[in-house]
Amino acid sequence: MLQIIKNEWRFLVRSRIFLGLSIAFILTLLVSIFLGNYQTKKQEQTHQNAKDHVRQQWVSIDEMNPHSAAHYGTYVFKPANLLSSLDEGVNSVTGNVLRVEGHVQNEIIHSEASQMQAISRFGKLKPSLLLQYIVPLLLIFLAFNTVSSEKQSGRLKLLILQGAKPLQIILSKTFSVWLYGVLLLVFVVIIYGILNIDSITAEVLIRTGLFFLSYTLYYFIVSGLTVFFSARWQNATLALTSMLGIWIIWTIFLSNILMSSVEKWHPLPSRNEFQSAMKEDRSKGLDGHNPKDKRGLALKEKVLKEYGVDSLSQLPINFDGMRMQADEDYGNSVWDKHFGNNRNVLQKQKQSFQLGGIVNPFISLQNTSMGFMASDNLHHQEFLLQVENYRRVFIKMLNDKQTYGGSKTGNWSWKEDNTFFKSVPDFDHKPIKFSTIIPNYLLDIVLLAIWSIIVVLLIRFGTKKIKIV
Amino acid sequence: MRPLSIFLYEWKHFFRSPFKIVAVLLFMVASIYSLHNGAHLYEKQSSEIERLNKKAQLQKETLVSYFENGEKGPKDRPWVDNTKPFWAIWNTPTYHYKKPSPAIVYNIGQTEQYGFYKSIKTNSSPYDADMAKEIANPERIQSGTLDFSFVALFLLPLLLLVLLYNIKGSEAEQGFLPLVFVQTGSKNWWMISRTVFYAIIILLVLFSVIVYGAVLTDISITDDAFWNIFLWVTLYLLFWLIIYFLILRLGKNTVSNTLQMIGVWLLFAFIIPAATQQWISIEKPTNLMIDIIDAKREKTDDIYALSDELIDKQLFELFPSLKQTEIAKDSVRIKRARRSSMEALINIAMKDATASIEKDNQSKNELISKTYWFNPITFFQNKLNHLSKTHYNDYQDYRNEIQNLADKRTKIMVLDIWNDVKVDKVKYIEYTKLFSNVK
Repeated sequence: MLQIIKNEWRFLVRSRIFLGLSIAFILTLLVSIFLGNYQTKKQEQTHQNAKDHVRQQWVSIDEMNPHSAAHYGTYVFKPANLLSSLDEGVNSVTGNVLRVEGHVQNEIIHSEASQMQAISRFGKLKPSLLLQYIVPLLLIFLAFNTVSSEKQSGRLKLLILQGAKPLQIILSKTFSVWLYGVLLLVFVVIIYGILNIDSITAEVLIRTGLFFLSYTLYYFIVSGLTVFFSARWQNATLALTSMLGIWIIWTIFLSNILMSSVEKWHPLPSRNEFQSAMKEDRSKGLDGHNPKDKRGLALKEKVLKEYGVDSLSQLPINFDGMRMQADEDYGNSVWDKHFGNNRNVLQKQKQSFQLGGIVNPFISLQNTSMGFMASDNLHHQEFLLQVENYRRVFIKMLNDKQTYGGSKTGNWSWKEDNTFFKSVPDFDHKPIKFSTIIPNYLLDIVLLAIWSIIVVLLIRFGTKKIKIV
Repeated sequence: MRPLSIFLYEWKHFFRSPFKIVAVLLFMVASIYSLHNGAHLYEKQSSEIERLNKKAQLQKETLVSYFENGEKGPKDRPWVDNTKPFWAIWNTPTYHYKKPSPAIVYNIGQTEQYGFYKSIKTNSSPYDADMAKEIANPERIQSGTLDFSFVALFLLPLLLLVLLYNIKGSEAEQGFLPLVFVQTGSKNWWMISRTVFYAIIILLVLFSVIVYGAVLTDISITDDAFWNIFLWVTLYLLFWLIIYFLILRLGKNTVSNTLQMIGVWLLFAFIIPAATQQWISIEKPTNLMIDIIDAKREKTDDIYALSDELIDKQLFELFPSLKQTEIAKDSVRIKRARRSSMEALINIAMKDATASIEKDNQSKNELISKTYWFNPITFFQNKLNHLSKTHYNDYQDYRNEIQNLADKRTKIMVLDIWNDVKVDKVKYIEYTKLFSNVK
């Protein structure tokens, strides 16, 4: 078997077209890795500058009422991620700027795609674009006549007479084509590693390793299936057109149709419906800015009783801050309910889409590729959740200062000094540990593995009775 | 051999090729599915707009009822006085919409990148947080909705490839190419006739599905959008016909022709647009809107810190007629009027900030346009986006309208405050009409 693989490679290396194509493709890959990396680093710099600028504004507040500071708020920018230089995932269509302030949970806005006219339907020239769309095609081109040409030239018969079994020959040919894809993958991973040697951590290694695994499985499926068609059909053109048809259906047609369909099966509310429902629920709670609000009055009675006093002016604390925080707490529970619903719908959509991997392994590859490179919707949602958690801490700190900082109820002109504002922590994005989210991608990996097994079984049983001439 | 005979032979060949028939059928299914996606979005946006209009109408009726009952505002908010221009204008609900064009059925374009309605206030900006796009799965947006333009721009060349790939190559491999040339008299004529045959089939399919799309969103057959879409899709088909014809004409066998055809498709559909996008994002990185943030914070703070004299000076420069008003001469009442008019100055600062962002975006767009000559799919995509009013520029026009409405609202508010206008039911209704009108 090893000998057949060696021979296959000898033939390949002797082909000038193959060498020319490979060199051109490797150069394109190299350019995509360099550009991807350069763009991500530039984006990181832009992000850091923006973050420093906004932080500087915050720590420069001389004196301000804490609740006014909650309205002044801050901004969080979606950080760039070095892994996303391999697969950008959803990053160019999600927003980049999120305003953090009191009373409201804003949406992330200003996506890259919204800042210019349309360019590419398939994203930027990242390695993932070449690895997902172009490499499989190269493998198909390499594999479609591997067996049929041997049949036509009579070499297949010769090999069998020399003692090789048809199954061994077909598997060897599959492996030799697959190896080409794997070598391209190794090249990408090594260059990426060299360029980012200082940033490599165990987490990055695990993620890149799994990224590598999912592509190797997909390449095996494509190579195996093409060699199988080449063995089954007498005509190489038929093998090529069948496999091209499958490639088109998998990568262009089915993945797109399925993605559009899952959004219809599990619909998200419109923005207006969502906001109206949130507003409706919030109106049932406490209005922090309205001293005559019924629930506010009930809270007032409760606090007066707790402190054993008759009026707000006798309170040792500022009741305004407490009312504001009660308003926030209620708002947070409303947010949890509604955003939780949206997250559930998005999760259902993802699960349904993942099941599409049963008929289309390309879907599993897409999911794992952006998932392992931390650029899928799951990672985006986790980022949003971290920002919301930060918002809660941020606003609570300001409201607590208003309540317990030494001011009296109704004294809105009271101000805190710069030391306090400097002590309010900045948002610090903590990348999600891969170990906590791996279950989300198990189905994709399992489906890719099952597809690989199916291909081996197809080759094993489907080529038993192939004509050797 | 006459073209009709070549057509008849090709017809037989076509009917004996299940692979080609399946490809045409799949293309039709994809087209119909994609048209329904477009129509679904059109209906969704139209019904949302209708719903918001009803909501605004209800709010207006509530306000009118206050005037009819001699009340100043809601009882639980005693500080609200709708007889004052500030509060009446604050409580005039005005939504401005980017109404979907019926041609959206053919091309969703950049629709899903932007919001399509906006509640206008005096402090509104086209870059406010409520301009966020609709809630949607970002993975679906990233992979792109299967709209008709996707079918036309990406699947049409593939369908053409499937229909044309074995022209000449198949005959050459079977060894009867010289015989064909003897029978037809001209190699070019024979190949052109066969290619035209498939072009006609595709044109018929395209015309049928475009008519089907027109039915879904009630586009009239006399509508410019209908014929323009058909014209540009036909030109796009012609572009690919020429490329594929040249490959087939110069090629020697089916396999090599197929590989070249798919290679060119990959180059135009994937590599060139993706490389262009990568280059643009390096050349002009994503704007994180720092200018707007600065205008909202530092510049707003600066305006609030201005002395009364400087505020008056700036307001009088902006609205010269204010100087002559009674309030301008009243040292007590001017204080409240001045405070309520500060938004006009903040509005100017915000407009300066958004202008720099728009200039930046415009320069990105100019860079992209310069790549059209070697980036045909991006060119055709943006052409279709223009036709279905879903191009960046259409949303820029929408943002400009929002800015104009906010300017108008601010101006009327300032003038009415300084002229001490008393708002009643008639005046309020006048406001509602005035603020909804972009012109």
